[in-house]
Amino acid sequence: MKRKAHRSLVAMTVAATLMGGCAVNDTGAAEVWDPIETPNRFMFSINRAVDIMALRPVAVIYRDWVPEPAQKSIRNLLDNLGEPVTAINEVVQGDPNRAATTMARFLVNSTIGVAGLFDVATMLGLERTKEDAGKTIGLYAGVEPENGGFYLMLPVIGPSNARDGTGLMMDYLADPFRILTFNLAVNWDVWQGARYGMNVIDYRSRTIFALDDLEKNSVDYYAAMRSAYTQNRADLIRQKREKTDARSELERRDNLALVR
Amino acid sequence: MSLLAFRRVILRLAAVAAATVFVLPAVAQPVSAADASKLIETVAAEVIEIVKTKTGADRQAAIRKVLQANFDLPFMGRSALGRYWNGASETQRSRFLAAVETAEARAYSERFGQYAGQTVTVGKVTSRPNGVSIVDSQLNQTNGQPIKLQWEVRNGGQGPLITDVKVEGVSMVMTRRSDFSSYIQNNGGTVEPLIQELEARAAR
Repeated sequence: MKRKAHRSLVAMTVAATLMGGCAVNDTGAAEVWDPIETPNRFMFSINRAVDIMALRPVAVIYRDWVPEPAQKSIRNLLDNLGEPVTAINEVVQGDPNRAATTMARFLVNSTIGVAGLFDVATMLGLERTKEDAGKTIGLYAGVEPENGGFYLMLPVIGPSNARDGTGLMMDYLADPFRILTFNLAVNWDVWQGARYGMNVIDYRSRTIFALDDLEKNSVDYYAAMRSAYTQNRADLIRQKREKTDARSELERRDNLALVR
Repeated sequence: MSLLAFRRVILRLAAVAAATVFVLPAVAQPVSAADASKLIETVAAEVIEIVKTKTGADRQAAIRKVLQANFDLPFMGRSALGRYWNGASETQRSRFLAAVETAEARAYSERFGQYAGQTVTVGKVTSRPNGVSIVDSQLNQTNGQPIKLQWEVRNGGQGPLITDVKVEGVSMVMTRRSDFSSYIQNNGGTVEPLIQELEARAAR
């Protein structure tokens, strides 16, 4: 009985020492890897100038002046054009059933939904998903999803990293609509340009509140955005991985809590 | 080894263990799942009530009270300052915590200024081995997708308190931490310029 008590005391002591050790060694909160911070910050300041002078005002007008149903239809149209890329990614992610649902959504919305202006598929119970090649790479990368390679500030598009930038390029190359317009040799570049432009304005109009908040409440906007972007992308990838990944984000947070 | 010497070793180890437990604030009493979700539900209800009935400075003061009562602000501030906390003097620490508290109260009352009938649904609670509870919840909007909110609740000795909020996977404390650490590194590596900047903002 007595020996048992001793043993459990020793175990407790060892456990406490180990945890103390964690507090010193495992920071669990490594900063985002940003080896090209100087050029990134330069690009960030250009992006901000463009944003303040052109993009944000346009996004505000779009949000406040364009009637809500019209905004919603534009959103649906753009989403519908993006469905094939999502389906391709879902196949690569090893989820052909989900890809089939996405393609069913695409077919329903392109026909009954009048070229995607109305999201009839959701009403029929076909839920929308959004996948991109950055997430697909992250799913298979075998590293912490916070680690997306070096951080990268892209022109106009904004925060990215090696993983998501590569993904963006892959999605662009795999996009059937881009291939179609390219092969038809019709001058559809204008339409593609309009599509990408509308995507930017629509996305910006939906992030006005969040980005204003981040800017106002940070002392280093660039660093705050870098952290928020990395965390958000990691969260999306973690949701994909959850079924297979044992080392979860919560475990990482436990370590963070021990850091001083 | 004689039994007496063995016992002495054990006692000494026990003392070390006890000291470790007291030094580490993370080793806290566990928070029950029911307590954690009740805390979030109460806070959400209180905040929605404040936003509906108060505006301007009144709202900010009321939000600040809710923050003080339900959030472990010193803990959050300490985590946000990370390793620089150790290098800060006692006065710097208290000045920093005061400035951060003002900033948070202002930020939250502005965030809730956009209130348009949103509701919070509390979901499942995950208990962690270190006594922390993670409460999943959803902010339901009248138009658009619901927003994913996660709350970290821990008991640091004064009952269960919120120590972090994650919006769509973005932790407030982690973002602050990154933000502050970058600011400190770009301003001579000491906390003083950061504290002055935060105080200047709080005074505005």
